[in-house]
Amino acid sequence: MSHERSLRPADESGGTVATGPMEREYRMRNGVRRAGGAAAALAALALLSGCGARQSIFQTKGDASQKINDLQVPVFLVAGVVGVVVFAAIGFALWKFRDRPGRQIPVQSHGKKAVEIGLTVLSATILLPIAVLTVSTIFQLAKSPDNALVVRVTGQQWWWEYTYPSINGASGRPLVTSGELVIPTNTAVKLEITSRDVIHSFWIPALNGKKDAVPGRVHPLRLEANDPGVYFGQCTEFCGLSHANMRQQVIALNQGDFDTWVANQQKPVTKPTDATSPAGKGYDAVGARCVACHQVDGYTDTDGKQVDAAADEQLVSGAAPNLTHLMSRSSFAGANFDLRTQECIDRLHNATPEQFGAEYLKGTPPECLDRAKLEAWLRNAPGMKAMAPDPGPNGLRRGMPNLGLSEPQIDELIAYLSKLS
Amino acid sequence: MAIIEQPLGPLELARAGGGVTPSSAMGVFRRPVATQGWRAWLFTVDHKKLGIMYGVAAFAFFIIGGSEALLIRLQLAQPNGKVLSASVYNQMFTMHATTMIFLFVMPMAAAFANYFVPLQIGARDVAFPRINAFGFWAFLFGGLLLNLSWFLGGGADGGWFMYAPNSGVQFSPGHGIDFWVMSLLVTGIASLTGSINLIVTLLNMRAPGMKLMRMPIFSWMVFVVQFLLVFAVPVITVALVLLSFQRTFGAQFFTVQAGADPLLWQHLFWIFGHPEVYILVLPSFGIISEVLPVFSRKPLFGYPFVVFSGIAIGFMGWGVWAHHMFASGLGPISVAVFSVTTMFIALPTGVKIINWIGTMWGGRLTFTTAMLFAVGLVTQFTIGGLSGVTHAVSPSDTQQTDTYWIVAHFHYVLFGGAVFGLFAGFYYWWPKVFGRLLDEKLGKWNFWVMVIGMNLTFGPMHIVGLQGQPRRMYNYQAGYGHEIWNLLETIGSLILAIGVLLFIINVVKTNRRPADAPLDPWDARSLEWITSSPPKEYNFERVPTVHTLDEFFHRKYQENHETGEIVKVTTAEELLAIEEANTDANMHMPSPSYWPMVLAGALPVLALGTIYKTYLIAIIGGLIAIVGAYGWANEPSVAEPGDYDPPAGTSKELAPLG
Repeated sequence: MSHERSLRPADESGGTVATGPMEREYRMRNGVRRAGGAAAALAALALLSGCGARQSIFQTKGDASQKINDLQVPVFLVAGVVGVVVFAAIGFALWKFRDRPGRQIPVQSHGKKAVEIGLTVLSATILLPIAVLTVSTIFQLAKSPDNALVVRVTGQQWWWEYTYPSINGASGRPLVTSGELVIPTNTAVKLEITSRDVIHSFWIPALNGKKDAVPGRVHPLRLEANDPGVYFGQCTEFCGLSHANMRQQVIALNQGDFDTWVANQQKPVTKPTDATSPAGKGYDAVGARCVACHQVDGYTDTDGKQVDAAADEQLVSGAAPNLTHLMSRSSFAGANFDLRTQECIDRLHNATPEQFGAEYLKGTPPECLDRAKLEAWLRNAPGMKAMAPDPGPNGLRRGMPNLGLSEPQIDELIAYLSKLS
Repeated sequence: MAIIEQPLGPLELARAGGGVTPSSAMGVFRRPVATQGWRAWLFTVDHKKLGIMYGVAAFAFFIIGGSEALLIRLQLAQPNGKVLSASVYNQMFTMHATTMIFLFVMPMAAAFANYFVPLQIGARDVAFPRINAFGFWAFLFGGLLLNLSWFLGGGADGGWFMYAPNSGVQFSPGHGIDFWVMSLLVTGIASLTGSINLIVTLLNMRAPGMKLMRMPIFSWMVFVVQFLLVFAVPVITVALVLLSFQRTFGAQFFTVQAGADPLLWQHLFWIFGHPEVYILVLPSFGIISEVLPVFSRKPLFGYPFVVFSGIAIGFMGWGVWAHHMFASGLGPISVAVFSVTTMFIALPTGVKIINWIGTMWGGRLTFTTAMLFAVGLVTQFTIGGLSGVTHAVSPSDTQQTDTYWIVAHFHYVLFGGAVFGLFAGFYYWWPKVFGRLLDEKLGKWNFWVMVIGMNLTFGPMHIVGLQGQPRRMYNYQAGYGHEIWNLLETIGSLILAIGVLLFIINVVKTNRRPADAPLDPWDARSLEWITSSPPKEYNFERVPTVHTLDEFFHRKYQENHETGEIVKVTTAEELLAIEEANTDANMHMPSPSYWPMVLAGALPVLALGTIYKTYLIAIIGGLIAIVGAYGWANEPSVAEPGDYDPPAGTSKELAPLG
């Protein structure tokens, strides 16, 4: 799984830490299984596939996930040891006290109070330090520094939107992106998580635990990434039909690269100069339909006035992904599909922390664009990702409908979208 | 209403002050009397027949829920599976959980409770036999109503936890969730009536001498569970009524735009939902606390500790619900409190494990199939319990929750715990219920195939859970390390299905053999074995007088006070002969009744009327309910003597009071 290298860049010891408890967990279970050999093979396999897992819960790529891991590893160990002891006791009793010819009916002992109380107190003694450490970690994780970069994270069926209240976007309003949350490394980032429709849950296991996005409520979550790279996650609260296809990535860039990224995001896109070129046609003919829901900063009507999306007239959530700088991203449709070809996406995901920023900032130029995938999406979006595009009880949709575009229209539209870098 | 006795003899009628017969007093209503054929089952109020009916129906739902699980596993056998669509998959996991919890484990526990509680406490029936029958029919009709949704536009698709606002019409426009709400309301009525019935029975109808602390442990655990039900079912009922009003009548309980907080539903649901976990597992704890002593040939180690830890779980179970909500945005103080309470509920559970091992310690263990399943519960539940402690640690839980780590945990607890306990009960009590011993050789195959299947299905879920595979996903992508484990899980689920199939084969095979089980095949300890197998309608020839815990064992065995040796002084056959020679002259037995089924039958009709907002149907349902209740209230306390075949008074079953 070479393409996961970005998850354990340079710091190989991080990877080892991540696998340790799993190894021990399965070693523990291995010890009690009668089929020891098979279990050992299982444990080895667990190790092999576990350490490369993009969403492994033992990653420690941020300070919050580090704190959680420092707490959970000893707990897994203690649970493992207790498990071995209990299984040993059961195994011993089953063997030692099995019925054999000539054995008498045993003494009808009704129990021993000392044993009961002793073992209960022992269990409580084991739990007590775990409880203390847990409570202290809960309060440490709840602290949020005052000078944190705030990002508003909004979930809706079935994608995430990110708003930077302190950074203006191309429109002069706060910067809005979707799918990939771009943050600077080694900076405290405070997410304010909410939802526009049902409950979702934001989760980037390498950086922190989950936090639900509940409509009508704003929940804080602290993220801080140590290294530049891509950190994968997905929505983890069942949110309806396409819950399985609601993904997210955190893109961590060093401060310089982050500033470059912001500067690019702040540029409005321009109208193609040649209205008869494919991009120009895409802009006029089809683009007009897209911007009914999707915001594109710099898309103007015939009078030169900015066209603002009115997704609330179409969608239950009232929002569709902002497409202004679509090609600066590496994925689309709720971070569910790679926007770039396999070669280009591998280059990004396998980049070292040093190279990563430059690689990401290249965006998705035409030679990297996975054109077939984007065409398929424009041909029939609900065929690629389960959605509820037919108007519901109040005439509103959930997700993108099949637009019924002709092949030339799709070509023209892609020609235009390619310019949204 | 309670106990309805046989017609009084002439002497008693005279003493009662007149010759009033039931029909002259009550008009046209008659009570059914059939003791054979389908009528005997349809109109029965006998706790044993109802227990068997609960068992058969629950097992049928087990097969439905299991088939749903297999479809889920087939879909997930490889990345981007194409067996089920997203929509059907979401319905499938919702219905799988709902079916297994509400239509299999709960009613199967009710089957055991119904059958064995009166037998274990030396009663002839439950306190309210007609309510008992009503409870069964309400459960069955509720279960059928839920599954009817498959044929009327699709099942519920919001997950068994049915979080708002995703459960709203806007997000689930079909009628699946409406069926789900209504059927859970109907089965909730069944649970509530059943629990009140059993509480009254357990408090009032224990045999002379059976103090609470002499009550068999299974009855004790059932007792605790009934209190959990009495307090938990109303909470889910409130939630369901709110949701029903939200969906059907446009109420705004969960409409965020109108100021609602969706966490209201989560609190209501989990205040029910967590005690529910103990409702599911405590009866099985009770079963194996009967089985382990019998096959260890020792009393239950620390009986009072097991009783009080059960009660402790019953209380503490109410203070841990928010551990299902650690990621839902509660503040750190709430999270800390619920973390700590959740850790410490592990203590009374741990006490039970200690006592089960203590029971086996120093015993003489025979590994019958029942014993294997009991030991299986102890081991598998231990694994589930330990993974449970890891998510009591809430920071760690924010990584684990909604991943397969949780799915692994609760399947070890519920399949390895609750279901293994039920299977231990099947093998242990089958000869008592049917007079036939299940085949032990097939039984051992059954056990081992199920253990292997279950560990292969749910074991790898630990791994993919730690790899971060979330649950409730109709597909997953390749490249996250999940592929091989998911394939293994699917293979495991098929093995598990074969294990269940072996049980069915065993039942069919056993049923073909003559009913020749010995009276006391396991050298058992508790009161239900003091009577014939299967027990007669009136359970006991005479109501036993209880002198000790493990009464039956102590009648068979005596301790030689000088040597401390345990000596068998008599056999079960001899004890039964003594009982038969001293049959009670008077037996209060309930008559069958038509009305429980009629009244319960009104519920799904009312539900359908509400679901489709077709008030004519609802009115018809209401009328059926009124007729049912009127008939129930006005039927005579017993059948006419002449209605019996043979007429009353000629057979022992119908021994007249006199």
